[in-house]
Amino acid sequence: MSKEITFQLNHNDLTLAVQEHWTLLHLLREELGLLGTKEGCGSGECGACTVIIDGMAINACLYLAAEADGKEILTIEGLAAPDGTLNPLQQSFITNGGIQCGFCSPGMLLAAKALLDENPNPSEDEIKHALAGNICRCTGYVQIIDSIKAACAPKNEDVKVVAWQTKP
Amino acid sequence: MKKFRHLTPQTLDEAISLHESYRDRARYIAGGTDVLIKIKTGQVAPDYLISLKHILGQDRPLFNQETGELFIGAFVTHRRIEQSATVRRRYPILHDAVKNIGSVQIRNVATIGGNLVNAVPSADGAIPLIVLDAVAKIYGPKGLRSIELLHFFQGPGQTVLEGSEILTEIVIPALQPRTGSAYIKFGRRNAMELPLLGVGVLISLEDDHVTCAKARIGLGVAAPTPIRAHEAERFLTGQAVTSDTLAAAGRIAAEESRVRDSIRGVAWFRRDMVNVLVKRMGHKCLERIEQKE
Amino acid sequence: MPEYTVVGQPIPKRDAVEKATGRAQYIQDINLPGMLYGKILYSKYPHARIVHIDTTRAQKLQGVRAILTGKDIPEIKLGVYQDNRPLKTDKVRSYRDEVAAVAATDPDIAREALSLIEVSYEALPCVFDPEAAMHAEAPLVHVKHRTNILKMPWKLHFGDVDAAQATAAHVIKERFSTTWVTHCCLSTSGAIAEFDHANNLTIYTNTQIPSLAQKDFLNALTAMGLKNRRVRVIKPVIGGGFGSKLDTYAYEHIAILLAFKTRKPVKLVFDREEEFIATSTRQPALIDISQGCDRDGKLVFRDVAMILDNGAYTSWGATTPSVMMMPITTLYQVPNVRYEATCVYTNNTYSQAMRGYGNPQATFAIESAMDLLAETAGIDPVTFRHINANKPNQVSPQGFRITTCGLKECIDAVTEQLAWGRPKATGEGVGIASLIHVGGGARVYKSDGCGTIIKLDDYGGANVFTGASDMGQGADTVIAQIVAEELALPIEDVRVIHTDTDVCPWDVGAHASRTTFVAGNSALGAARKLKQQILELASNHLEAPPEILALQNRQVICREDPGQRIPIDKLLRKAHFSVGGTMLTAEHFYDPANENLDREFKGNLSMTYTFGAHGVRVRVDQETGKVEILNYVAAHDVGRAINPLLLKGQVYGGVMMGIGYALTEQVVLDKGQTMNPNFRDYKILTAKDTVPIQAPVLETHDPYGPFGAKGIGEPGCVPSAPAIANAVYDAVGVRIKDLPLTPEKVLAALKLKKKHTPPH
Repeated sequence: MSKEITFQLNHNDLTLAVQEHWTLLHLLREELGLLGTKEGCGSGECGACTVIIDGMAINACLYLAAEADGKEILTIEGLAAPDGTLNPLQQSFITNGGIQCGFCSPGMLLAAKALLDENPNPSEDEIKHALAGNICRCTGYVQIIDSIKAACAPKNEDVKVVAWQTKP
Repeated sequence: MKKFRHLTPQTLDEAISLHESYRDRARYIAGGTDVLIKIKTGQVAPDYLISLKHILGQDRPLFNQETGELFIGAFVTHRRIEQSATVRRRYPILHDAVKNIGSVQIRNVATIGGNLVNAVPSADGAIPLIVLDAVAKIYGPKGLRSIELLHFFQGPGQTVLEGSEILTEIVIPALQPRTGSAYIKFGRRNAMELPLLGVGVLISLEDDHVTCAKARIGLGVAAPTPIRAHEAERFLTGQAVTSDTLAAAGRIAAEESRVRDSIRGVAWFRRDMVNVLVKRMGHKCLERIEQKE
Repeated sequence: MPEYTVVGQPIPKRDAVEKATGRAQYIQDINLPGMLYGKILYSKYPHARIVHIDTTRAQKLQGVRAILTGKDIPEIKLGVYQDNRPLKTDKVRSYRDEVAAVAATDPDIAREALSLIEVSYEALPCVFDPEAAMHAEAPLVHVKHRTNILKMPWKLHFGDVDAAQATAAHVIKERFSTTWVTHCCLSTSGAIAEFDHANNLTIYTNTQIPSLAQKDFLNALTAMGLKNRRVRVIKPVIGGGFGSKLDTYAYEHIAILLAFKTRKPVKLVFDREEEFIATSTRQPALIDISQGCDRDGKLVFRDVAMILDNGAYTSWGATTPSVMMMPITTLYQVPNVRYEATCVYTNNTYSQAMRGYGNPQATFAIESAMDLLAETAGIDPVTFRHINANKPNQVSPQGFRITTCGLKECIDAVTEQLAWGRPKATGEGVGIASLIHVGGGARVYKSDGCGTIIKLDDYGGANVFTGASDMGQGADTVIAQIVAEELALPIEDVRVIHTDTDVCPWDVGAHASRTTFVAGNSALGAARKLKQQILELASNHLEAPPEILALQNRQVICREDPGQRIPIDKLLRKAHFSVGGTMLTAEHFYDPANENLDREFKGNLSMTYTFGAHGVRVRVDQETGKVEILNYVAAHDVGRAINPLLLKGQVYGGVMMGIGYALTEQVVLDKGQTMNPNFRDYKILTAKDTVPIQAPVLETHDPYGPFGAKGIGEPGCVPSAPAIANAVYDAVGVRIKDLPLTPEKVLAALKLKKKHTPPH
């Protein structure tokens, strides 16, 4: 009941045997010790388990490990550079309040990355459409959307994303 | 999750042959977003999953310039359909529906064929295709057959597929000139919705730009299977398409629907919404005809 | 020139980097050697006698290490009314009742074992409606209580309501109702329990009340015959709280019992369906409210009676009236107030704490009633609120001593930013609702305190051990900012530790929006003591009295002669590395000078109160009943925004939760059974449901808050429902009195209105 698969995981080539009934989520968390990808519901309704497979955002809870054969997979552990430099999205989420309890954050960051890789300058509607499958209870999505917008801004533009006012 | 073997045939014949050997112990799997949930909840417990993902075929909708037909392979993902410029331009009703099925994550793996075979009454994928007069191509041990998609569904979760048959392709016939189409999914929030109701409308106008040459009205969650509101369609055909006739068509369609109460919505409200949304989608069809010209 | 260096700055959340890189360890991510997995078997009936439980087949399954039923465990009493047990013995009273539990070597085996446990039940008559449950002939949920009505003290009367009602110029009376909604934390519940060789317990658990949980677990150990043992509560990174972790649960006790039985660590984590079914909800309420005003529009009385569906067991839901009293007696100036709440057992699920703790329910009724009364009195709803708005330095009939109060300014901010008077299109309307919430702690327990210990290392870095809890709201960051400001250290040099009861001081819990105020003041107190110690140390070295020394940017400087200075780290090393050396630590336990409410519920519950107003512009689709929010303004008087970035995060998150409460969320119970235990059918809002939200922040500089700050954790979700309901009324003239405001309810109301409106 096991199959050998070869795939690229976070820029590293891997060959290993997987049980045919394992989901990718199980493979990542229980077998490979990559705990960054979270299980929020197990049925594709919350997006907490989002990973990127061949450039596409996909729920790992509904993807068979066996199907990972020949694919390029990116999890949250692979988002920062090997030397630890944070991805601009990560940096922006941190700076702009896009993370509170953080449970939705790995999935949210990868869904955002998949969007920006395909569409580097999305409109607000396009951002919301891309994140529609990622549930967040803490932020109300506002600072998440702000973080993504700020990550898209050209480097020489000083984007003031935190739009709040204080009465003196 | 219950253990199973995962088989990856490379051709339709191979897949069918595997299914014939394992019969009730096997189940086809395409994208997996429906089947894996059913296995997790214990609704089904196959010993073998026969993956259809590795069978070479279309990976995107193909438009035949000569015949005007659109071919969509059953294993094309919803995301590919969503991203198809051809579909967006020529068949906006399909784009309207597909772009809101699940989430990007789901659409990246879930296939149009899988969605149709799952045969849920909500059928966001089915309604637009039915309204476009799509034909389903089925391949099985006895060879190829086709059936109008409208007649593909027999009940919740039930289709005409028998034994090892596989839905392989959807063919949408050529559109008439001056055709507009639109779909709306009515839900409580703007995403991740299993709708209370789905309404798809297609209107083709005669060359006087006023009379209805063809009308199609598809309703989801208004009956155990996707249905067309035939009486409302007959009412509109041959008439001038105006606010009044669209409103009347809405009322007739509402009467034809067989809505029921469920935890997702009550019958009287669904019926009301058939009325309102058929009318609104009719107007949207007219707008889209105008936009094209 | 900013007043402060670190306070008032949008400092990113201190643990955001770990969370952004997948390193943060939530309960699901913790694995201990030899760990077993626990799973719970729930009842198949809403009300039944447990006749027999046969675990023999389950015991034989390979990998099963322990099975427990009610008979196998000592009596551990749970809940504020002590009417609950971790595993039920004679009866089940709701579908979420825990009947048996299994520990196995893997979760799939544990699940399979559950399916092999055979339970025979004898069904009993049920009651699902609280009003029906109040009748003498209703089936008794807890037979020994002889009634379904709980003995709760919720009754108050200040002034003379009947006299006021008799002379009021305008009176309205209405009934409102709210239903169950749930927290939907993205991380499901879970705990890992482990005993050492001497039967001391360590439990990793998602808790907002580590110190009180420790007490509950000590009580459990005593019941288990383990007196004088230690309990250590360790918090993993918590994936959402919102009040759900404000009590200890059956599942935590079950994990402890399984760990004790197996002598192995036992991890018990809920799946999502279980999370919906077996965690507690927001308290539903049937609210009868009557309000009256004089000819000038001044409120003269408010009379509220509530019936609360207590469900099968009693948790904090039955104490929400103690908080509902706050808006009832003190939202707006009302001289005469009466309130009575009856809690009734039913075979439904039971409720506990959820963000706002009764305030959203009460405010829905009060603020809807305000609009009704304003209309009856012929006064504009905004003017009506201004006439009755609370003012600074007042004492309410309940004895709440209001210090700072920016309510009027919040109302003005709302009407201005919403462009209140702007001409409206058909179907468009505006609505407003205010809020009051405790902002300076809430003395609901014998102590409202929080302790802090700060130690300085040899490098000028500070470790701050706090009793506070962070669940994502930013307690860790705000406390770091306060300490960094006081000690003139860069924020990177301040580390906040809040995870372990063996290390951290006592705190009553993360509730009542009290963390910034209480834990902040506690940290400030400790930092001030430490500052004094540093200045005294420096005084010897610089030969100048401490009074003329100051801390500035990691140094101690002499104010009069800035050339005289020494870096803090050098000072500390000098003090440490010498004969008879010293190292500096300071501690401070801050218990605010608020009051427990007396027998008549009078007392100053909090040191200060947070006020706010929410306004919303809606468009109602009159053919579908759908309410679209065009603009939402949520103005809050927060005293001081210590961290404007995180503060906004609390407001936005609260507002979206409030909008969900108002429009889409509901736990659908059908004869006690949860019909929508998943994200598909429980309509929590998605990114595509966001609306434009403005969150003006008003700073009134509270005299008691740390740097003037008040609490903000809960206010964001308190007045959303009435603001929206009021806007819908303004738009299309229908008053929806039952949450959520679904399209069906709006459309049905519109049709009814049309039917009864005579044609012109």
